[in-house]
Amino acid sequence: GLLLVALLVSHMLLTKEGVTSLPICPKGSVSCQLSLEELFDRAVKLSHYIHFLSSEIFNEFDERYAQGRGFIAKAVNSCHTASLTTPEDKEQAQQIHHEDLLNLILGVLRSWNDPLIHLASEVQRIKEAPETILWKAVEIEEQNKRLLEGMEKIVGRVHSGVVENDIYTPWDGLPSLQLADEDSRLFAFYNLLHCLRRDSHKIDNYLKVLKCRLIHDNNC
Amino acid sequence: ILQWPQISKCRSPEMETFSCFWTAGNFYNLTVPRILQLLYKKSNEEDWKECPDYITSGQNSCYFNASYTSVWTPYCVQLASKNEVYDKKCFSVDEIVLPDPPVHLNWTLLNTSQTGIHGDIQVRWDPPPTADVRKGWITLEYELQYKEVNETKWNELKPRLSTMVPLYSLKTARDYEIRIRSRQRTSEKFGEFSEILYVSFSQIGIGCDHCTEEVEFPWFLVVVFGVCGLAVTVISIMLSKQPRLKMLIFPPVPVPKIKGIDPDLLKKGKLDEVNSILACHDSYKAQLYCDDLWVEFIELDIEDPEEKNRASDTDRLLSEDDLKSHSCLGTKDDDSGRASCCEPDIPETDFSASDTCDATSDSDQFKKATEKEEDLLCLERQDNDESLPNLASTDPQRQHRNTESENSSVWAPFEDSVESPHLSVHTQISNQNSLTSTDFYAQVSDITPAGRVVLSPGQKSKLGRTQRESCTEQNFTMDNTYFCEADVKKCIAVTSQEENEPRVQEQGYNEDGYFTTESLTTTVANLGAPTAAVPSSEMPVADYTSIHIVQSPQGLVLNATALPVPDKEFNVSCGYVSTDQLNKIMP
Repeated sequence: GLLLVALLVSHMLLTKEGVTSLPICPKGSVSCQLSLEELFDRAVKLSHYIHFLSSEIFNEFDERYAQGRGFIAKAVNSCHTASLTTPEDKEQAQQIHHEDLLNLILGVLRSWNDPLIHLASEVQRIKEAPETILWKAVEIEEQNKRLLEGMEKIVGRVHSGVVENDIYTPWDGLPSLQLADEDSRLFAFYNLLHCLRRDSHKIDNYLKVLKCRLIHDNNC
Repeated sequence: ILQWPQISKCRSPEMETFSCFWTAGNFYNLTVPRILQLLYKKSNEEDWKECPDYITSGQNSCYFNASYTSVWTPYCVQLASKNEVYDKKCFSVDEIVLPDPPVHLNWTLLNTSQTGIHGDIQVRWDPPPTADVRKGWITLEYELQYKEVNETKWNELKPRLSTMVPLYSLKTARDYEIRIRSRQRTSEKFGEFSEILYVSFSQIGIGCDHCTEEVEFPWFLVVVFGVCGLAVTVISIMLSKQPRLKMLIFPPVPVPKIKGIDPDLLKKGKLDEVNSILACHDSYKAQLYCDDLWVEFIELDIEDPEEKNRASDTDRLLSEDDLKSHSCLGTKDDDSGRASCCEPDIPETDFSASDTCDATSDSDQFKKATEKEEDLLCLERQDNDESLPNLASTDPQRQHRNTESENSSVWAPFEDSVESPHLSVHTQISNQNSLTSTDFYAQVSDITPAGRVVLSPGQKSKLGRTQRESCTEQNFTMDNTYFCEADVKKCIAVTSQEENEPRVQEQGYNEDGYFTTESLTTTVANLGAPTAAVPSSEMPVADYTSIHIVQSPQGLVLNATALPVPDKEFNVSCGYVSTDQLNKIMP
């Protein structure tokens, strides 16, 4: 029952954001390609949706598990993607070359693939985890995969020449999600979700910047 | 009250700079004024640094310009004086984005209604100048609110991404105020409101001063007149002499009481009446003695001479009185003013029935009186009632006679079947206790010219009968009140040749079960023993007969002869047979 409701809600959200899959190619067309604009549109929609879900799941987790534990005070949460040098303000984002930015986006997305899979599975083990958190975790993991595919398509279109992309950070936080001590375990989750919210916001922003730059010529 | 210095908030309007604000509290009124400092630290740094700009954002503020701002980096700020830390906050810039208000609000007229009373406008604005929307660095959504000038509550529109929105159906005679605020798209908090935009239609010359008297729907008048009209109608109905109309609109409300029991009667100990009251009335059809629906039957003491002849109280109690065709279950009993002696669905049925009611004899009045209370107790009655509720609905008089053993003279064939008070003529399809020795059902053997159905007695005692052959193995669902014709037929067909016993019945004997009319009529039974041949209770009699003529709605004329069982099974759903199938049975 709850699962059905969750599915319906997620579908509603998806349709609201327009992320439902649109027919790509008219029937019968031999070589059919989406325009770059269309690809970027979808990518932006996906990234926006992922960030929206990440915000929500973080807020819910915060409300439910983090109150009174002083997690926020430990602001030294370092994300595993911190080693990737990404633009930290508008200027840097303006200056970076779009191909590099695209590669960076891809690298961040790839680095999150693994943690999201484990997040979706480990969050089930949290005692009395609410259904909304559970399905959001699963949903984020799925949408991230889709966004990754889309970004690879875009990169294939935009890049001239061979695509070399070794931007990636491994994630080693799985043991912390499985700690026996509940407080430490919850803090690990809190950290991860906080990083997820931040990184999804980054991705969303970079993609919008790129879209305005490449498609609309800085005149969104 | 001592108030410590506190960081009230940190805010970034465009995700490129940010500022923090604090309150000084009344702390240093009490002591030597100290200088408050704001220190900050990025997460990857060790040392606390001091605020680079205390001025730009105003008093008690610290401004971090673009070079000091890293968007996704966690910061911590703390308010301190020389050696004391008063407050500390940690955040990252993307979390504290609160955009400036939109600017350059304006409106244009889209169109006006024909009467000129209403108009549509389009409101436009520009995004806050600080937010770099064009390069896509920040995405904003806007919420517009509007209200009439002298209202207090603002109407809110849903947040939207576009910088223009139409407002429909504004009153041209009124002036409006509009304000807009914005927020970053994935945030929850809005920034400040913009300046208020005033909308005045008269300024552009289409204000309609004379239209202020809007014709509003006169709800008040409508309600008042509606209520008056309704009251007048109700009163006139109540006072009218048309009983039918009255009945239609004000159906009689039964007084709550135990059905069938009149406490007064019990107290007085008039067994006769109690007896008659306890009689089970089985007809569901309106066998109405309602020559006048509105005659009130408070209590009638008409003594029936027959009743005095009763052998014993027990007998009387157990004999079948009568009866009316009131059903055990359906009618209302209401002795405080009998609105009707009829079924609840009176309006349809009683009009026709009242004609027949008129034909009733006076003696029925008594029956009517005493049996005005239907009783559910007939379910427990040990006796059989006679009734053929569905067979002869137009003949309400069928069972009105007290068919006691002595009085079964009316029903000639079966008077001798009445050996005991328990066994009497029954033609019913009533709910009978299987413990009784009487039949659940009897066979209709004849129909008198008067229209009455003559029944032949069934078997005497069903209990303890030895099981017969194949039928016994069959599992009739005992808790169903309906049997599949197929099953029943099978049973009958198998055994009908040997015995004319309605074995089925015994199988189907059930405290609560009863066959429907359909099952009665469609089951083909061997009527090897028509009425004349079965006076003795030992003789088995087929309990079912076939329909000869169906004269709906008035009843069925049953055929006394046996009909061959059709070879093929009917595809009958339990309990019902269509007329087509019926025709197949019929020769």
